[in-house]
Amino acid sequence: MKGVGKRTIPLLVSVMVCLSFMGCNVARLTLNTTLTPENVAFIVPGKTTLTEVVTKLGTPDTITDADSGVVATYRFLDLKYSRVNFGWLAKPWTPVDPDVIFSRTGLGVDEFQVFYNPDWVVVQQGFQRSLTRPPFHPYPF
Amino acid sequence: MKVGRCLLGFVIVAFLLQGCAFSRGTLGDDVKTEIVATIQKGTTTKTEVVNLLGAPDRLLQLNGRDVFHYYRYDAKAGSLLLILLNFTRLSVKSDDVFVIMNRDGIVEDVISSKRTDSLGFRFWPFGE
Repeated sequence: MKGVGKRTIPLLVSVMVCLSFMGCNVARLTLNTTLTPENVAFIVPGKTTLTEVVTKLGTPDTITDADSGVVATYRFLDLKYSRVNFGWLAKPWTPVDPDVIFSRTGLGVDEFQVFYNPDWVVVQQGFQRSLTRPPFHPYPF
Repeated sequence: MKVGRCLLGFVIVAFLLQGCAFSRGTLGDDVKTEIVATIQKGTTTKTEVVNLLGAPDRLLQLNGRDVFHYYRYDAKAGSLLLILLNFTRLSVKSDDVFVIMNRDGIVEDVISSKRTDSLGFRFWPFGE
């Protein structure tokens, strides 16, 4: 009897763990490589040139005109989506298709802007917003 | 015997790949690095650039200078559809070329990079 219990408990735990993954969807969308303050630490306003920035970071996504010179913008996006349908737990026992869905989408979007003077030397640089890594769990509350 | 092994290999590969989905989308023409390399600063003219690369996707005006912007987007998506548990990952990257002209219509600078070379199909959505 003790042996049966020893085998049944891990089996039950495994079944419960498997059931909790039922109806799960995990998706992620990334646009370009996410830049961090460490990646752009080499940029020194008044010294670094466009060529040096392009060599390390690649070409910007857009270049636009500004009063003081030119603005180069690097855009990046990290979208995380997860969804779990607890209705799957009831599917074996009900004739209908019940849905109890928890889902959450985290949209991590940011851009890095570099301002150049007319001689293509960096004047200033900065991130538009501090990108906080979006969560990867479906709990929406 | 050889046919049997081939058949077995095919069955194993087919079994391992079931539930996998590969998708790809591109926007724009491929930016050929060897053509971009022929553009010389200080000598190549606006007309020659158009002959080499075609009309630009975007034409910008920066400090009185014309800038030709050529771009290409590449998106690759990998999905692992295990019915009860599905993973999907979509990655998008772009190749961009900016050709900066001076006021006389001669190339002043060329900046380009090919980011799509490092773009691969990914299934695992976690981590980097």
